[in-house]
Amino acid sequence: MGFNLTVNGDRLSSAAEPATPLVDVLREEMHLTGAKPVCREGFCGACMVLVDGEPTPSCLLPAALADGREIQTVEGLAPLGQLNRIQAALEVSDAVQCGMCFPGMVVSLTHLLTTRPDATSDDIRAALTGNICRCTGYERIVEATLLALATA
Amino acid sequence: MSDVSATMDLRRRDAADKLRGRTRYTIDRYLPGMLHAAVLRAGVPAGRIMRLDTSRAARMPGVRAIVTAADAPGMIGIGIADHPLFARDVIRYDGEPLAAVAAVTLAQAQAALAAIDVEIEPLPAVLTMADALKPDASLVHPDWRSYEVLLEGSARGGNVAWEATVVRGDVDAAFARPDVEIVESCFRVGRQNHVAFEPRAVVASYEDGRFHIETSTQVPWGIRNATARLLGVPASQVRVTVPPVGGGFGLKFDLAVEPFAALLARASGRPVRLVNSREEEMLTCLFRENADIRIRSAVTREGDIVGREAVVLMDCGAYGGEQIFLTTMTAHTLGGNYKLGSVRMVSRAIYTNTAPNGAFRCCNGVYNTFALERHTDEIAARIGMDPLAFRRRNVLGDKDLGATGQIFEGDVLGPMLERMDTLRDAAAPPPARSDGRLYGRATTVGTWFVFVGPSAATVNMNADGTATLVTSGVEIGSGSMMQSLPQIVASTLGIAPEHVVVRAADTDAAGYDVGVGGGRTTVSLGAASLSGAQEVRTKLLKVASEMIEAAPDDLVMRGGRIEIAGAPGSGRTVMEVATRAQALGGPVSGTGAFTGAGVPAMPGCVAGHFIDAIDIPVFAVHDCEVAVDPETGHVEVLSYRVVQDVGRALNPRAIHGQIQGGVVQGLGYALHEEVTIGSNGRVCQNGFETYRVPLALDVVPVEISLYEGAPSIGPLGTKGAGEVPILNVGAAVACAVANATGKRVQALPLTPPRVLELLLDRTQDLALSHIADAWTDNLIRSYQTAHDK
Repeated sequence: MGFNLTVNGDRLSSAAEPATPLVDVLREEMHLTGAKPVCREGFCGACMVLVDGEPTPSCLLPAALADGREIQTVEGLAPLGQLNRIQAALEVSDAVQCGMCFPGMVVSLTHLLTTRPDATSDDIRAALTGNICRCTGYERIVEATLLALATA
Repeated sequence: MSDVSATMDLRRRDAADKLRGRTRYTIDRYLPGMLHAAVLRAGVPAGRIMRLDTSRAARMPGVRAIVTAADAPGMIGIGIADHPLFARDVIRYDGEPLAAVAAVTLAQAQAALAAIDVEIEPLPAVLTMADALKPDASLVHPDWRSYEVLLEGSARGGNVAWEATVVRGDVDAAFARPDVEIVESCFRVGRQNHVAFEPRAVVASYEDGRFHIETSTQVPWGIRNATARLLGVPASQVRVTVPPVGGGFGLKFDLAVEPFAALLARASGRPVRLVNSREEEMLTCLFRENADIRIRSAVTREGDIVGREAVVLMDCGAYGGEQIFLTTMTAHTLGGNYKLGSVRMVSRAIYTNTAPNGAFRCCNGVYNTFALERHTDEIAARIGMDPLAFRRRNVLGDKDLGATGQIFEGDVLGPMLERMDTLRDAAAPPPARSDGRLYGRATTVGTWFVFVGPSAATVNMNADGTATLVTSGVEIGSGSMMQSLPQIVASTLGIAPEHVVVRAADTDAAGYDVGVGGGRTTVSLGAASLSGAQEVRTKLLKVASEMIEAAPDDLVMRGGRIEIAGAPGSGRTVMEVATRAQALGGPVSGTGAFTGAGVPAMPGCVAGHFIDAIDIPVFAVHDCEVAVDPETGHVEVLSYRVVQDVGRALNPRAIHGQIQGGVVQGLGYALHEEVTIGSNGRVCQNGFETYRVPLALDVVPVEISLYEGAPSIGPLGTKGAGEVPILNVGAAVACAVANATGKRVQALPLTPPRVLELLLDRTQDLALSHIADAWTDNLIRSYQTAHDK
């Protein structure tokens, strides 16, 4: 029993039930509470993590299926005490309100910045279909992403 | 006073950690030895509890405590104490709590719930307000007469939980005039779910004879007092602290999960965590209430509203809750916007066997503004007047009487309508339209208020030149605690806003506060903070005047220094003065307190009201353009503009963010957020798949103009700016869709099926048979008794 996860570069082992959602293992065993279990159905994106570089809702992934794969959570996207490009742009744009959706937003947009350097406003909106925000009305997030793309 | 402006686009100090996933909300708090709790909920909308036996569950693995109705003797409510923590003998809604369990793991707690033996005899349920108001309807609260009344003056009876009325002038005479057109409109709206991303969540512990409740709430003092009342303990035995809150929107303006965790912590001697599942949040969220509205007006051909009457039915669900209070708001929202020759309105909170409703951003105002503005367009059409011209003629101005007879100050809505004209005219003309869609536009106005009331603040001046602001304010996402409050304190003391430490809410540390909501944070907490900072300022200036050898009146505080006015660089740093002051007389601090001004209504106008007149009105003008697809019924919002009365904008950029977010929440309400209740009494939308909130692809950038300078008793002339942006979105979209389609829009949300039915003329005109034709027949309180002067 048990499986191994590589999370933000650290190799960790878990004795959780194999079908435990990854988000619960990250939060409760590894104290990585950045990923938020908001809907637990894969709609809201607040628990998004990168699995082998791909944005993945960690509520839908049985933890054992992440065995041997590289997981990056929002806590691991920037060196300690710093902000990555999209985090800095969101901060400077005063985009954050309650903040619950932002860990997932940041994961999805960090991926967008590296894979779609030519993304337009419409591309960004489309990329955020799996990331819901209840506070901001999205505009600042789109603006900040364009800003981050422009400052590449 | 202050020597530097408090206006700035200060960034949020909490953003960086929120963006890195480091912020610890209540759901992220895991304490050593903590137990996990779960709540057993009823699966029928009405029933009698024949047996509830927890003995088998108590022997389940990992179970440490089980609590039931016997553990919570008290009843709570607003106006009437009608609400126990657990169903006692009688179940009044599907989802009502029956018992709560704490166990070592959540899975063990849930397994124990399944082992509680419950026997329930189903009873007939009233699921709609129409059913509840039938003469032979079964009563949701057969013992309603026995409940403790917390506010006198309302009429109640049967399934009518509360009735608030306003009567000013002779409406019968106005309607009997020969020179008026009588226009009648009916409207219906459904519920709206807040979908706060952080569910209701709590971690409670019990130490040294006191409860410590760490919770995701907007009302720390409300939680303290209501928990104590339910548990039957002195309120001083309850301490509430509040981590950053992951979204409120009014959902967390009332108690929810806290007493369960508190009871379980006391029973087990261990910290207890209780977090609602998303399904629990969807089914029992204290929704914005569904409402049925009839409004009639007597209007002259010239366009004067000489008489208006209305009946508003608000579904409070199984318990009165916020709706009791919100009946008050009809007089100020449906009775707002326009000059009325005479008016009578009744607003009734109706019990049904459904999940209790609650507060949601611009509670009551959102649907009453929808009804009022659609009704206004129907009036304008009837008398053949341009709807904008009708509004310009009738909006409230300086010295005009409001519905309850209060005197409004200043011309605000008129100039705001002009501002909107300018915005609209400056926009690029729309491109040629040949796609077969139907296009429409509308401009609507709205009246809202600031929910003032008591707040307290302490400002502690630190010897290092920083200040610590201690209040019971909560950061729910709006940014008021991160931006406007430190800006107010910093400008008063001439220090950088980053040098104002903001203490998170703790009822042991700060004085009473009504809560964060109702647009009151910057106003009420801001006024208390300003007053506390001014006391500190006075004390520092006195010490500085001795140090600098200049009169206090000649000194200014700016740039972290106390200087002689007109001589930059003179004097001393604030740190030096604070250090000296501390050495001379001990640490410097100041306290502040605030409550409302108590603007009067006309005597004898209102009955059953919690607020007779509004201290700080807030106005909004919205303009919206839509395209309606006749094939699918889909409504696309093409443009959206807002002119908002903010009094004074302390942080314009933050307010713009609130407006964009509030408008988008309103677009969800207007177009696709729909809650329905099945024949089993259960809410049908149990998750994000069935409840459709706005996505990034649904929204447009809102064009915003902040209207400053309207009178306000708020500190530095401010008004609340974060609540009101949602106010007239339903109205603006509905009026625009009506204009685009030429159809009578009487209901929200305007989902594609509903719009298609309108277009195909398959919609029956809305008949509200449970609203009596004669206005007076809708009253429990006799008309003469209520308003006989």
